Amino acid sequence: MDELAIEYAGETLLLLADKAIYWPQQHTLLVADLHIGKAASYRALHQPVPRGTTEATLARLDQLLARYACNRLVVLGDFLHARTARAAGTLAALAAWRTRHCELEIVLVRGNHDRHAGDPPVELGITVHEEPWLLGPFALCHEPEPHASHAVLAGHVHPAYVLRGRARQRLRLPCFVIGAQVAVLPAFGEFTGGWNVAPQAGTRMFLTGADRVWPLTQ
Amino acid sequence: MPDLANAWFATRGWKPFAFQRQVWAAVGRGESGLLHASTGTGKTYAVWLAALRAFAQNSAGRQPAALQVLWITPMRALAADTARALQAPLDELQLNWSVGVRSGDTGSAERARQARRLPSALITTPESLTLLLTRAQAENDFASLRLVVVDEWHELLGNKRGVQLQLALARLRRWQPGLLVWGLSATLGNLDHAMQVLVPEHGLLVRGRQDKRLEVDTLIPAQLERFPWAGHMGLKMLAQVADELEHSASTLVFTNTRAQAELWYQALLDARPDWAGLIALHHASLARETRNWVEGALKKGELKAVVCTSSLDLGVDFLPVERVLQIGSAKGIARLTQRAGRSGHAPGRTSRITLVPTHSLELVEAAAAREALAAGRIEARRSPRLCMDVLVQHVVSMALGSGMRPDELLAEVRSTWAYRDLRDSHWQWALAFVRNGGSSLGAYPDYQRVEAHPDGIWRVASERLARRHRMGIGTIVSEASVQLKFWSKGGGGKTLGSVEEAFIARLRPGDTLMFGGRVLELVRVENMTAYVRRSTSRKAAVARWNGGRMPLSSELADALVEQLDAAAHGRFNNPELRAVRPLLALQAQWSAVPTTTTLLAETLNTRQGSHLFLYPFAGRMANLGLASLIAWRVSREQPLSVSIAVSDYGFELLTPSRIDWAAWLPRVLSAEHLLDDVLASLNAGEMALRRFREIAQICGLVFGGYPAAQKSMRQIQASSGLFFEVFRKHDPDNLLLGQARDEVLAEELEIERLRWQLEKMAARRLDLHVLKRPSPLAFTLLVEGLRETMSTEKLADRIARMVAELEQAAGTAHG
Repeated sequence: MDELAIEYAGETLLLLADKAIYWPQQHTLLVADLHIGKAASYRALHQPVPRGTTEATLARLDQLLARYACNRLVVLGDFLHARTARAAGTLAALAAWRTRHCELEIVLVRGNHDRHAGDPPVELGITVHEEPWLLGPFALCHEPEPHASHAVLAGHVHPAYVLRGRARQRLRLPCFVIGAQVAVLPAFGEFTGGWNVAPQAGTRMFLTGADRVWPLTQ
Repeated sequence: MPDLANAWFATRGWKPFAFQRQVWAAVGRGESGLLHASTGTGKTYAVWLAALRAFAQNSAGRQPAALQVLWITPMRALAADTARALQAPLDELQLNWSVGVRSGDTGSAERARQARRLPSALITTPESLTLLLTRAQAENDFASLRLVVVDEWHELLGNKRGVQLQLALARLRRWQPGLLVWGLSATLGNLDHAMQVLVPEHGLLVRGRQDKRLEVDTLIPAQLERFPWAGHMGLKMLAQVADELEHSASTLVFTNTRAQAELWYQALLDARPDWAGLIALHHASLARETRNWVEGALKKGELKAVVCTSSLDLGVDFLPVERVLQIGSAKGIARLTQRAGRSGHAPGRTSRITLVPTHSLELVEAAAAREALAAGRIEARRSPRLCMDVLVQHVVSMALGSGMRPDELLAEVRSTWAYRDLRDSHWQWALAFVRNGGSSLGAYPDYQRVEAHPDGIWRVASERLARRHRMGIGTIVSEASVQLKFWSKGGGGKTLGSVEEAFIARLRPGDTLMFGGRVLELVRVENMTAYVRRSTSRKAAVARWNGGRMPLSSELADALVEQLDAAAHGRFNNPELRAVRPLLALQAQWSAVPTTTTLLAETLNTRQGSHLFLYPFAGRMANLGLASLIAWRVSREQPLSVSIAVSDYGFELLTPSRIDWAAWLPRVLSAEHLLDDVLASLNAGEMALRRFREIAQICGLVFGGYPAAQKSMRQIQASSGLFFEVFRKHDPDNLLLGQARDEVLAEELEIERLRWQLEKMAARRLDLHVLKRPSPLAFTLLVEGLRETMSTEKLADRIARMVAELEQAAGTAHG
């Protein structure tokens, strides 16, 4: 079960084990919080972090784009980590990745990190919108705030859930948090942390782990 | 010129001890060495007068003498007292020497004065010394230096601060080949090693007076719990402790944690409101002024009692202190001796320490401690070796100021004990790491910390980086903390001290906390400061700090088993054992009492799963190693998820699935393939990650933040786990990862101790009991807070099981 279909705002969405959402009716792949170039921006501040995280993030996008028929990729904010993320190596990796998907429409909904980092280089051909960007029944956002008329899809919080079991077992897993008006995606980027969330009344939680999506009973 | 030292002793009416004359003569001959003696026997004046005698001139020049003596102290709190002690003979002998202090507390005016010229004798800490070495004119600053004294060397020897000091001494020795170095140490089980690390060439070991009389007794509870855990941090003993304080003059009440000190202080005040102003609280998180006031009042004999932590372990003479109480286990013989020495702190006086058990089994520990002390079984301390994190930090430090030449620095580094076996490849790795991140070219694009210039000198890449590095020098890794201040409009409230950010994060405005002996209400948290006001509430959370928990030493653990063995054979030869007899009888009835020839194991099935309790009495860390090892060996043949609880006595393995522990037991205790199995168990567990957190901060991988920075440190702290994963995935050969693993092996698990334990266990008869309910010994493990988990089950299986359990629980709740 590496994907799980749910109904949200009258649409069928596939929650993917690799922390993305596929919207079949629109042939659209949704991801949040890529934080591309985070390692490079640490290195620029003289903090050693090995290379490879950006390539790994992009390689996972490649796999999803190959598996699901996509016309459009929507990034729900925090595409680039910081201004200093625009290192030559990082930008070259992004450019090479873009040429592998030249037909794809890519949309970025600006997040807080994007505002500091600046919009992606024009050559990448990414359309940038302020939140909320309305598409069908959805308000596509970075920050998970309810919208007056549309159901929200957002990122920003990097949600994770701590699963506890008998014999004091404990596991922390990235998760989707689907409410009545707001749905939050887990962070997609490799070099990103998580924020623990607790289930709220009226929200559904779906954990990701071991290449599967796990609905959580409440 | 008359002998200064004899002259000054004569004016005081003192007669020098033989060991003092020995040190004076040795320094006169230009020898280095180590002086060991119990506290309060005159070590300070042995070396200080030796220095004056050898180096001071009676000339009355206008300027005081240039820097002659460097006095290293492990705690900056001791610096002011040391300065007073060193000043006294200068005044009376009218020597034109100045004494100064350089530490994190030194004000800017004094710093400016020292920037122009250092005092004749400078008292400083290892961290501040390294900082002084990073100044551009450092070689000139230290040109006149003759002697370095390392006070309380036993406190530095066994940790990375000591390694940092070894490196700094190597630098000073390169500038001054004839430099003398003297260490002052309490008695250790391995004094030869202590001296070799400090004076690698050749030194003189001088034994001071050891004739200090030490009395150890125990406060035996009037009523004994049949279950060892009474809870409340030993507060059941409150009335008896208050009674003891009533009948003694000045008393120090030692606790093992700051939280425990807070609780006891509050409880004593509640029990005896008339003692307000007569008793005080002292621990490292209280504001400096508060601690100064307490120390001053204690010295003047104005206080009846001070509840304290290890913050009062060292130095400082508190002459009026008459006796010492120790709440809970002292964990080691050396520590017990040290604390006992806080009373009767003068040559020839008797020291008395009274142990106050916080649970019944600590009664046995108390008897064991007394016997081990009488037999002189003192613990050893060993210097860490080849710490790559400290080395990386040092290389960058030395590239500050006037820069460094790699070849010269290597020779210097290898002259220390800790790095004498440093391999060329590791040195090259450290250089490459600070230069461009790693040995694999291109793994760290655009990263640079130190630049190699064409003239062969390496310098730090930017002024901003230099500032940040100076801020981070040191090897003490602390949790992120916030200032605690009284709330007042305009923000001018008094500072009370500091608490860990993680603790404050759990409180909401309006919640109450206990701090500095007061009940306080949280008003708001902003800019890394928690504002509070007084509260009249009776209930409050006690601030907690994650201070390092000391494991029980193997010397004390062995003595403990000997006591239990005696009891198992019906010998109850001391009051402690007689008091705990009913509990041991219950243990014998439900299971068995451990002995020196048996290895006790207990199994139990509960709703939580299958429990195994095993009691090697190996100390907390070695017990954790044994537990991980056994869990790993079982899980290799049968996928398994285990939760591990450890105490100083033994450990518990708990699995959600049924498992026949008895069937596995003798086999999984083999000492064969120990190293491989322990390494493998580390990969399955969480220990290496925890260790990496410290390493990452010391070598500058994660940045602790500027002191006044408004941003929380938690983001960086949380991400050391993230760093660990990224390194493991993208640069698995990084030596810092290797170090994390090695440190777990050497320091936490003590692999040699583990091997030795396994051999010891193999020689014992396995005494297995199936329990119907937890035995008194098992009970201590069931309530233990320190837990680890390990799993070799497929992740998918683990998630599936836990999700199913949740569903079942939800189903029951609804049904």
